[in-house]
Amino acid sequence: MHEMSLVQALLAQLATLAAEHNKKRVITVTLDIGPLSGVVIDSFQFGFDILSAENSLTREAKLIIINPPATYQCIRCGHRQSSLVRPDHCPECDETLLIPEGGDGIILNQVEME
Amino acid sequence: MCDSCGCDLPTDHDHNHEHAPEIIKVHQSLLAANDAIAAENKAHFEAMGIVAINMISSPGSGKTTLLEKTIERLKGKIRIGVIEGDIETDRDAQRIRAKGVPVVQMTTGGACHLDAAQIHKGLHLLEKEPGGDKLDLLFIENVGNLVCPATFDLGEHQRVVLVSVPEGPDKPAKYPKAFISSQIFVITKIDLLPYFDFPVAEAKADALHLNPRLQVMALSATSGEGFEAWIDYLEAVMR
Ligand SMILES: Nc1nc2c(ncn2[C@@H]2O[C@H](COP(=O)(O)OP(=O)(O)OP(=O)(O)O)[C@@H](O)[C@H]2O)c(=O)[nH]1
Ligand SMILES: [Mg+2]
Repeated sequence: MHEMSLVQALLAQLATLAAEHNKKRVITVTLDIGPLSGVVIDSFQFGFDILSAENSLTREAKLIIINPPATYQCIRCGHRQSSLVRPDHCPECDETLLIPEGGDGIILNQVEME
Repeated sequence: MCDSCGCDLPTDHDHNHEHAPEIIKVHQSLLAANDAIAAENKAHFEAMGIVAINMISSPGSGKTTLLEKTIERLKGKIRIGVIEGDIETDRDAQRIRAKGVPVVQMTTGGACHLDAAQIHKGLHLLEKEPGGDKLDLLFIENVGNLVCPATFDLGEHQRVVLVSVPEGPDKPAKYPKAFISSQIFVITKIDLLPYFDFPVAEAKADALHLNPRLQVMALSATSGEGFEAWIDYLEAVMR
Protein backbone atom coordinates (compact mmCIF):
# COMPACT_ATOMS: atom_id res chain seq x y z
CA MET A 1 0.00 0.00 0.00
CA HIS A 2 2.47 2.67 -1.08
CA GLU A 3 -0.63 4.49 -2.32
CA MET A 4 -0.98 5.89 1.23
CA SER A 5 2.45 7.56 0.92
CA LEU A 6 1.41 9.02 -2.42
CA VAL A 7 -1.85 10.35 -0.98
CA GLN A 8 0.16 11.98 1.82
CA ALA A 9 2.40 13.61 -0.80
CA LEU A 10 -0.71 14.84 -2.64
CA LEU A 11 -2.23 16.32 0.53
CA ALA A 12 1.06 18.09 1.30
CA GLN A 13 1.08 19.61 -2.20
CA LEU A 14 -2.56 20.70 -1.83
CA ALA A 15 -1.80 22.40 1.50
CA THR A 16 1.11 24.29 -0.10
CA LEU A 17 -1.02 25.36 -3.08
CA ALA A 18 -3.87 26.49 -0.82
CA ALA A 19 -1.48 28.61 1.23
CA GLU A 20 0.12 30.10 -1.89
CA HIS A 21 -3.23 31.03 -3.42
CA ASN A 22 -4.94 31.92 -0.17
CA LYS A 23 -7.68 29.27 -0.55
CA LYS A 24 -9.65 27.45 2.14
CA ARG A 25 -11.34 24.55 0.38
CA VAL A 26 -10.43 22.13 -2.35
CA ILE A 27 -13.34 21.33 -4.69
CA THR A 28 -11.80 18.98 -7.25
CA VAL A 29 -8.36 17.44 -7.73
CA THR A 30 -7.42 16.07 -11.15
CA LEU A 31 -4.64 13.51 -11.40
CA ASP A 32 -3.07 11.62 -14.30
CA ILE A 33 -2.04 8.12 -13.21
CA GLY A 34 -0.32 6.13 -15.95
CA PRO A 35 -0.86 2.37 -16.47
CA LEU A 36 2.82 1.67 -15.69
CA SER A 37 2.96 3.82 -12.57
CA GLY A 38 2.51 0.84 -10.25
CA VAL A 39 -0.42 2.59 -8.57
CA VAL A 40 -3.63 0.71 -7.85
CA ILE A 41 -6.25 3.36 -8.50
CA ASP A 42 -8.82 1.87 -6.10
CA SER A 43 -6.22 1.82 -3.31
CA PHE A 44 -5.32 5.42 -4.07
CA GLN A 45 -8.97 6.47 -3.96
CA PHE A 46 -9.44 4.54 -0.70
CA GLY A 47 -6.41 6.26 0.86
CA PHE A 48 -7.62 9.63 -0.36
CA ASP A 49 -11.10 9.11 1.11
CA ILE A 50 -9.60 8.34 4.51
CA LEU A 51 -6.84 10.93 4.69
CA SER A 52 -8.68 13.80 2.97
CA ALA A 53 -11.42 13.63 5.61
CA GLU A 54 -8.89 14.55 8.31
CA ASN A 55 -8.78 18.26 7.47
CA SER A 56 -11.20 20.97 6.43
CA LEU A 57 -9.18 21.90 3.33
CA THR A 58 -9.84 18.60 1.59
CA ARG A 59 -12.82 17.15 3.44
CA GLU A 60 -15.24 17.70 0.54
CA ALA A 61 -12.73 17.37 -2.27
CA LYS A 62 -13.61 15.19 -5.23
CA LEU A 63 -10.85 13.17 -6.85
CA ILE A 64 -10.83 12.86 -10.65
CA ILE A 65 -8.35 10.28 -11.92
CA ILE A 66 -7.39 10.18 -15.58
CA ASN A 67 -5.57 7.10 -16.83
CA PRO A 68 -3.59 8.12 -19.94
CA PRO A 69 -2.14 5.34 -22.14
CA ALA A 70 1.56 4.47 -22.45
CA THR A 71 3.45 4.42 -25.75
CA TYR A 72 5.25 1.23 -26.82
CA GLN A 73 8.03 1.32 -29.36
CA CYS A 74 9.02 -1.80 -31.29
CA ILE A 75 12.65 -2.75 -30.75
CA ARG A 76 12.94 -4.04 -34.34
CA CYS A 77 11.07 -1.66 -36.69
CA GLY A 78 10.57 1.33 -34.37
CA HIS A 79 6.78 1.39 -34.83
CA ARG A 80 5.02 3.13 -31.94
CA GLN A 81 1.60 2.33 -30.53
CA SER A 82 -0.34 3.80 -27.68
CA SER A 83 -2.15 1.48 -25.27
CA LEU A 84 -3.51 1.13 -21.75
CA VAL A 85 -2.56 -2.54 -21.62
CA ARG A 86 0.77 -3.91 -22.77
CA PRO A 87 0.47 -5.05 -26.42
CA ASP A 88 1.67 -8.61 -27.10
CA HIS A 89 3.43 -7.76 -30.34
CA CYS A 90 4.14 -5.08 -32.92
CA PRO A 91 1.26 -4.78 -35.42
CA GLU A 92 3.78 -3.97 -38.20
CA CYS A 93 6.42 -6.68 -37.85
CA ASP A 94 5.14 -9.05 -35.11
CA GLU A 95 8.19 -8.46 -32.87
CA THR A 96 7.32 -9.13 -29.21
CA LEU A 97 9.98 -6.89 -27.63
CA LEU A 98 8.42 -3.47 -27.18
CA ILE A 99 9.94 -0.69 -25.10
CA PRO A 100 7.46 1.30 -23.01
CA GLU A 101 7.76 5.08 -23.00
CA GLY A 102 5.97 7.18 -20.42
CA GLY A 103 2.83 5.85 -18.79
CA ASP A 104 4.55 5.78 -15.40
CA GLY A 105 3.56 9.27 -14.29
CA ILE A 106 1.60 10.07 -11.12
CA ILE A 107 0.84 13.69 -11.85
CA LEU A 108 -1.19 16.31 -10.03
CA ASN A 109 -2.66 18.05 -13.02
CA GLN A 110 -4.98 20.71 -11.68
CA VAL A 111 -6.85 21.73 -8.58
CA GLU A 112 -10.05 23.65 -8.22
CA MET A 113 -10.03 25.60 -4.95
CA GLU A 114 -11.92 28.39 -3.27
CA MET B 1 -25.00 38.93 -2.73
CA CYS B 2 -22.22 39.62 -5.19
CA ASP B 3 -23.15 38.35 -8.69
CA SER B 4 -19.56 37.85 -9.77
CA CYS B 5 -18.28 35.55 -7.07
CA GLY B 6 -21.30 34.66 -4.98
CA CYS B 7 -20.01 36.13 -1.69
CA ASP B 8 -22.03 38.31 0.59
CA LEU B 9 -19.80 41.36 0.57
CA PRO B 10 -21.08 44.57 -1.11
CA THR B 11 -20.81 44.38 -4.93
CA ASP B 12 -17.96 46.89 -5.29
CA HIS B 13 -15.14 44.71 -3.84
CA ASP B 14 -12.19 42.94 -5.40
CA HIS B 15 -13.35 39.47 -6.57
CA ASN B 16 -9.88 38.06 -6.16
CA HIS B 17 -10.38 37.25 -2.55
CA GLU B 18 -9.99 33.87 -0.89
CA HIS B 19 -13.22 32.01 -1.61
CA ALA B 20 -13.51 32.63 -5.35
CA PRO B 21 -13.37 29.18 -6.98
CA GLU B 22 -10.31 29.01 -9.16
CA ILE B 23 -8.73 26.31 -11.29
CA ILE B 24 -5.02 26.10 -10.71
CA LYS B 25 -2.94 24.20 -13.26
CA VAL B 26 -0.18 22.34 -11.47
CA HIS B 27 1.22 19.51 -13.57
CA GLN B 28 3.59 18.25 -10.91
CA SER B 29 4.42 14.66 -10.05
CA LEU B 30 3.30 13.41 -6.64
CA LEU B 31 6.81 12.03 -6.47
CA ALA B 32 8.37 15.46 -7.02
CA ALA B 33 9.43 15.85 -3.38
CA ASN B 34 10.89 12.32 -3.31
CA ASP B 35 12.61 12.79 -6.67
CA ALA B 36 14.20 16.07 -5.61
CA ILE B 37 15.78 14.34 -2.60
CA ALA B 38 16.76 11.38 -4.82
CA ALA B 39 18.60 13.81 -7.12
CA GLU B 40 20.45 15.21 -4.09
CA ASN B 41 21.35 11.69 -2.97
CA LYS B 42 22.70 10.92 -6.43
CA ALA B 43 24.78 14.13 -6.46
CA HIS B 44 26.11 13.14 -3.04
CA PHE B 45 27.03 9.62 -4.27
CA GLU B 46 28.86 11.11 -7.23
CA ALA B 47 30.73 13.65 -5.14
CA MET B 48 31.86 10.79 -2.86
CA GLY B 49 32.71 8.47 -5.77
CA ILE B 50 30.11 5.91 -4.64
CA VAL B 51 28.17 3.56 -6.92
CA ALA B 52 24.76 2.88 -5.32
CA ILE B 53 22.68 -0.24 -6.00
CA ASN B 54 19.05 -0.59 -4.91
CA MET B 55 17.97 -4.22 -4.38
CA ILE B 56 14.28 -5.06 -4.73
CA SER B 57 12.56 -8.41 -4.20
CA SER B 58 9.79 -10.18 -2.31
CA PRO B 59 10.54 -11.14 1.31
CA GLY B 60 13.08 -13.94 1.52
CA SER B 61 14.35 -13.99 -2.08
CA GLY B 62 17.91 -13.97 -0.81
CA LYS B 63 18.97 -10.31 -0.83
CA THR B 64 20.86 -10.38 2.46
CA THR B 65 22.44 -13.76 1.70
CA LEU B 66 23.69 -12.47 -1.65
CA LEU B 67 25.13 -9.39 0.09
CA GLU B 68 26.88 -11.56 2.70
CA LYS B 69 28.53 -13.65 -0.03
CA THR B 70 29.39 -10.55 -2.06
CA ILE B 71 31.07 -8.92 0.92
CA GLU B 72 33.03 -12.10 1.69
CA ARG B 73 34.22 -12.14 -1.89
CA LEU B 74 35.06 -8.44 -2.39
CA LYS B 75 36.15 -7.34 1.08
CA GLY B 76 39.63 -5.83 1.04
CA LYS B 77 39.35 -5.04 -2.66
CA ILE B 78 36.26 -2.82 -2.71
CA ARG B 79 34.99 -0.67 0.16
CA ILE B 80 31.37 -1.75 0.61
CA GLY B 81 28.65 -0.15 2.75
CA VAL B 82 25.04 -1.22 3.23
CA ILE B 83 21.78 0.53 4.08
CA GLU B 84 19.24 -2.04 5.21
CA GLY B 85 15.51 -1.35 4.92
CA ASP B 86 12.99 -3.34 6.90
CA ILE B 87 9.65 -2.68 8.50
CA GLU B 88 10.92 -3.90 11.86
CA THR B 89 14.14 -5.24 13.50
CA ASP B 90 17.83 -4.76 12.76
CA ARG B 91 18.42 -8.45 12.03
CA ASP B 92 19.65 -7.91 8.50
CA ALA B 93 22.02 -5.14 9.67
CA GLN B 94 23.39 -7.53 12.31
CA ARG B 95 24.08 -10.13 9.63
CA ILE B 96 25.92 -7.56 7.50
CA ARG B 97 27.81 -6.11 10.49
CA ALA B 98 29.07 -9.62 11.26
CA LYS B 99 30.81 -9.49 7.87
CA GLY B 100 32.76 -6.43 9.03
CA VAL B 101 31.45 -3.67 6.78
CA PRO B 102 29.69 -0.40 7.74
CA VAL B 103 25.92 -0.80 7.82
CA VAL B 104 22.87 1.07 9.06
CA GLN B 105 19.38 -0.27 9.53
CA MET B 106 16.47 1.94 8.53
CA THR B 107 13.19 0.69 9.96
CA THR B 108 10.18 2.09 8.18
CA GLY B 109 7.74 1.35 11.02
CA GLY B 110 5.10 -0.10 8.73
CA ALA B 111 5.85 1.52 5.39
CA CYS B 112 6.31 -1.01 2.61
CA HIS B 113 9.25 0.72 0.88
CA LEU B 114 12.25 2.98 1.41
CA ASP B 115 12.05 6.54 0.14
CA ALA B 116 14.73 9.04 -0.83
CA ALA B 117 14.51 10.93 2.48
CA GLN B 118 15.29 7.73 4.42
CA ILE B 119 18.35 7.14 2.24
CA HIS B 120 19.49 10.72 2.85
CA LYS B 121 19.21 10.10 6.59
CA GLY B 122 20.79 6.66 6.25
CA LEU B 123 23.79 8.12 4.42
CA HIS B 124 24.52 10.53 7.26
CA LEU B 125 24.19 7.73 9.81
CA LEU B 126 26.46 5.52 7.72
CA GLU B 127 29.13 8.24 7.62
CA LYS B 128 29.36 7.98 11.41
CA GLU B 129 30.11 4.23 11.26
CA PRO B 130 33.77 3.22 11.11
CA GLY B 131 34.76 3.28 7.42
CA GLY B 132 31.31 4.52 6.41
CA ASP B 133 32.62 7.84 5.12
CA LYS B 134 34.84 6.26 2.44
CA LEU B 135 32.97 3.82 0.23
CA ASP B 136 33.19 2.59 -3.34
CA LEU B 137 29.96 0.62 -3.42
CA LEU B 138 26.75 1.15 -1.48
CA PHE B 139 24.08 -1.53 -1.42
CA ILE B 140 20.59 -0.50 -0.41
CA GLU B 141 18.53 -3.54 0.57
CA ASN B 142 14.95 -2.39 0.17
CA VAL B 143 12.01 -3.65 2.23
CA GLY B 144 11.03 -7.15 1.07
CA ASN B 145 8.23 -6.28 -1.37
CA LEU B 146 8.09 -6.62 -5.14
CA VAL B 147 5.51 -3.86 -5.63
CA CYS B 148 5.92 -0.65 -3.64
CA PRO B 149 9.71 -0.07 -3.68
CA ALA B 150 9.61 0.09 -7.50
CA THR B 151 7.83 3.46 -7.42
CA PHE B 152 10.42 5.30 -5.31
CA ASP B 153 13.67 6.54 -6.82
CA LEU B 154 16.34 6.61 -4.13
CA GLY B 155 19.01 8.26 -6.30
CA GLU B 156 20.63 4.88 -7.02
CA HIS B 157 22.74 4.21 -10.11
CA GLN B 158 21.50 0.68 -10.59
CA ARG B 159 18.36 -1.13 -9.58
CA VAL B 160 18.46 -4.89 -9.19
CA VAL B 161 15.31 -7.01 -9.01
CA LEU B 162 15.64 -10.53 -7.60
CA VAL B 163 13.30 -13.52 -7.82
CA SER B 164 14.12 -16.83 -6.15
CA VAL B 165 13.36 -20.19 -7.71
CA PRO B 166 10.71 -21.19 -5.10
CA GLU B 167 8.66 -18.08 -5.96
CA GLY B 168 7.91 -19.34 -9.48
CA PRO B 169 8.68 -17.96 -12.94
CA ASP B 170 5.55 -15.81 -13.31
CA LYS B 171 6.77 -12.92 -11.14
CA PRO B 172 7.88 -10.65 -14.02
CA ALA B 173 4.48 -10.98 -15.67
CA LYS B 174 2.61 -10.39 -12.40
CA TYR B 175 4.73 -7.56 -10.97
CA PRO B 176 5.86 -5.65 -14.07
CA LYS B 177 6.89 -2.32 -12.57
CA ALA B 178 9.93 -3.67 -10.69
CA PHE B 179 11.19 -5.27 -13.91
CA ILE B 180 10.50 -2.24 -16.09
CA SER B 181 12.39 0.06 -13.73
CA SER B 182 15.42 -2.17 -13.07
CA GLN B 183 18.66 -2.60 -15.01
CA ILE B 184 19.35 -6.12 -13.86
CA PHE B 185 17.26 -9.16 -12.98
CA VAL B 186 18.86 -11.83 -10.80
CA ILE B 187 17.24 -15.25 -10.46
CA THR B 188 18.41 -16.59 -7.09
CA LYS B 189 18.58 -19.99 -5.39
CA ILE B 190 19.18 -21.92 -8.61
CA ASP B 191 20.54 -24.81 -6.48
CA LEU B 192 16.81 -25.47 -5.89
CA LEU B 193 15.94 -25.87 -9.58
CA PRO B 194 15.73 -29.70 -9.29
CA TYR B 195 12.89 -29.34 -6.74
CA PHE B 196 10.78 -26.62 -8.34
CA ASP B 197 9.10 -26.10 -11.67
CA PHE B 198 10.94 -22.94 -12.66
CA PRO B 199 11.73 -22.72 -16.38
CA VAL B 200 14.54 -20.15 -16.29
CA ALA B 201 14.16 -19.37 -20.01
CA GLU B 202 10.47 -18.54 -19.53
CA ALA B 203 11.10 -16.17 -16.62
CA LYS B 204 13.85 -14.53 -18.62
CA ALA B 205 11.68 -14.15 -21.73
CA ASP B 206 8.82 -12.63 -19.71
CA ALA B 207 11.18 -10.14 -18.11
CA LEU B 208 12.73 -9.18 -21.45
CA HIS B 209 9.27 -8.81 -22.93
CA LEU B 210 8.61 -6.12 -20.31
CA ASN B 211 12.03 -4.52 -20.55
CA PRO B 212 14.22 -5.53 -23.51
CA ARG B 213 17.20 -3.68 -22.00
CA LEU B 214 17.23 -5.78 -18.81
CA GLN B 215 20.38 -7.77 -18.08
CA VAL B 216 19.45 -11.20 -16.70
CA MET B 217 21.52 -13.62 -14.64
CA ALA B 218 20.84 -16.72 -12.54
CA LEU B 219 22.86 -17.74 -9.49
CA SER B 220 22.96 -19.58 -6.20
CA ALA B 221 24.47 -17.81 -3.21
CA THR B 222 24.84 -21.13 -1.42
CA SER B 223 26.43 -23.29 -4.14
CA GLY B 224 28.23 -20.38 -5.83
CA GLU B 225 26.95 -21.35 -9.27
CA GLY B 226 26.55 -18.27 -11.49
CA PHE B 227 28.13 -16.06 -8.86
CA GLU B 228 31.01 -14.95 -11.09
CA ALA B 229 28.62 -13.21 -13.51
CA TRP B 230 27.32 -11.16 -10.57
CA ILE B 231 30.84 -10.19 -9.52
CA ASP B 232 31.66 -9.30 -13.15
CA TYR B 233 28.56 -7.12 -13.27
CA LEU B 234 29.57 -5.31 -10.06
CA GLU B 235 33.08 -4.76 -11.34
CA ALA B 236 31.65 -3.41 -14.62
CA VAL B 237 29.33 -0.88 -12.94
CA MET B 238 32.20 0.36 -10.77
CA ARG B 239 34.37 1.22 -13.74
N1 LIG C 1 18.85 -22.92 -1.18
C1 LIG C 1 19.16 -21.64 -1.12
N2 LIG C 1 18.69 -20.90 -0.12
C2 LIG C 1 19.03 -19.59 -0.07
C3 LIG C 1 19.85 -18.98 -1.05
N3 LIG C 1 19.97 -17.66 -0.76
C4 LIG C 1 19.27 -17.45 0.36
N4 LIG C 1 18.69 -18.62 0.80
C5 LIG C 1 17.84 -18.79 1.98
O1 LIG C 1 16.64 -18.05 1.83
C6 LIG C 1 16.21 -17.53 3.07
C7 LIG C 1 15.99 -16.04 2.96
O2 LIG C 1 17.23 -15.41 2.65
P1 LIG C 1 17.54 -13.89 2.94
O3 LIG C 1 18.87 -13.61 2.36
O4 LIG C 1 17.34 -13.59 4.37
O5 LIG C 1 16.41 -13.18 2.10
P2 LIG C 1 16.05 -11.63 2.02
O6 LIG C 1 15.64 -11.37 0.62
O7 LIG C 1 17.16 -10.81 2.54
O8 LIG C 1 14.79 -11.53 2.99
P3 LIG C 1 14.06 -10.21 3.57
O9 LIG C 1 15.13 -9.24 3.94
O10 LIG C 1 13.30 -10.71 4.73
O11 LIG C 1 13.18 -9.73 2.46
C8 LIG C 1 17.28 -17.92 4.09
O12 LIG C 1 16.85 -19.01 4.80
C9 LIG C 1 18.48 -18.23 3.23
O13 LIG C 1 19.35 -19.16 3.81
C10 LIG C 1 20.36 -19.82 -2.11
O14 LIG C 1 21.08 -19.39 -3.02
N5 LIG C 1 19.96 -21.12 -2.10
MG1 LIG D 1 17.10 -9.34 4.00
